[in-house]
Amino acid sequence: MNQVTSIAVGFDGSVESETALRWAAGMAHESGASLTVVHASGILERLGSAFDPDVVPEAVESIMAQEGIDPSRYHWVIEEGDACSALLACASPPVNAQVLVVGSRGHGKRPGTMIGSVSLEVVQHAKVPVVVVPGS
Amino acid sequence: MVLIVNEVFDDAEHESPEHPERPGRVQAAMAGVADLHLGEDLVVAPRHSATRAELLRVHAGGYLDELGAYCYGGGGDIDQDTYATYDSWSIATLSAGAGLSVVAELQRRGEGVGFVAARPPGHHALKDRAMGFCLLNNVAVTAAALVNQGERVAIIDWDVHHGNGTQQIFWDEPNVLYASMHQWPLFPGSGAASEVGGRSALGATINVPLPEGATGDATRRALDEVIAPAVDAFGPTWVLVSAGFDAHRLDPMADLCLSDADYGDLAARVSRFVDGPGRLAFFLEGGYEFGALRASVASTLSAVLDAGFSGEPRSNGGPGYEQINRVKTQRLAAIESWTREYEKEGQS
Ligand SMILES: [Zn+2]
Repeated sequence: MNQVTSIAVGFDGSVESETALRWAAGMAHESGASLTVVHASGILERLGSAFDPDVVPEAVESIMAQEGIDPSRYHWVIEEGDACSALLACASPPVNAQVLVVGSRGHGKRPGTMIGSVSLEVVQHAKVPVVVVPGS
Repeated sequence: MVLIVNEVFDDAEHESPEHPERPGRVQAAMAGVADLHLGEDLVVAPRHSATRAELLRVHAGGYLDELGAYCYGGGGDIDQDTYATYDSWSIATLSAGAGLSVVAELQRRGEGVGFVAARPPGHHALKDRAMGFCLLNNVAVTAAALVNQGERVAIIDWDVHHGNGTQQIFWDEPNVLYASMHQWPLFPGSGAASEVGGRSALGATINVPLPEGATGDATRRALDEVIAPAVDAFGPTWVLVSAGFDAHRLDPMADLCLSDADYGDLAARVSRFVDGPGRLAFFLEGGYEFGALRASVASTLSAVLDAGFSGEPRSNGGPGYEQINRVKTQRLAAIESWTREYEKEGQS
């Protein structure tokens, strides 16, 4: 297997995505890979009626500190757009992630169906291996 | 001139608490139509749902199955922005069919202008995915039906967001031109000037990204200097407008600063792209501030019907006017570079 040097993980602020983030942090820790935390902002976030984008960096920072990941080893990106496209884009330059990590379900409510499932979408379209982390 | 409307008015069950894409938008748009006092020149087209065959021209069968099952299973959040309810399938298919019936009525009469006041909107809906409040791509369903009849269709998208779904669906379709002006950076993140279409339709995708704060003058210049030359070269037989009104300065969704009069200006320009009477239709996309939506719809339709609506003055002086030069350069460079690339591939 090729050495993994770059991992990307989706983070939407949900409990499931936090579990995925912790798992990805563990993998980064063991492999020495760099970690890219991707947050897709969507349309509604601008209105303040959904997840607050200012919360993303703080939440990520505290989780990374708890997982013992040095700030130099990860960075976060906030993408205008949807979660699936944002994560898939990380498999291309400049991030060039060799592994994508995603929670088993985020905002969608119906696990096991295409609709509402970022994880299934990512699995279907990704050109690199995808890890789907089950919720706790 | 006659205005053919199709209003999906029984849309009340497609709603989610506090979601801005909500019932009331269609009524606000239709209030703008009523403000024109068209009398007998206002014609209501018959309603029908888009058939599966009509939807399959632009959407994957598996996606249609999933979406229908998801709705009839009770619906829920599809992603962080997009929702569906039990009734969303029937409302979305009515919205997708509304443009088809407007076009059929325009064809039957051989004159008039169409307005499709339907929701949920459509231009973010991808071939196989709901996104950005959109479930089915209404304007694409109509454009594909026209292409199926041998027409060449120009879709002009002035919603404040880039219509990534429409662009994806027709990326490589030589009989459809897709032109968008939109705020950038902004959801959905696509719509750079360098996105110019696929190998079979190189140059038939046109994107004019505009900076936050841009005003009507920048949009007029975008239409006149970037979009109009491409449309002229393409030679459409039909023009469909993805008319979102969320670039209005009062709309909460984004930060362009158009006035309702600017929409009239844009509509007048777009109407000149049309090859003959009865070949122009406007499709409601975004627009979330009811007063601005009502006035902007009135201004848009008044400009093409000559109905004498007067609203606020046109806007000028924001950023973005100068940026149009850079858009032209980037677009040309992208077309040249892909042309060279394809020639190389052809030789090897
Ligand atoms: Zn919009």
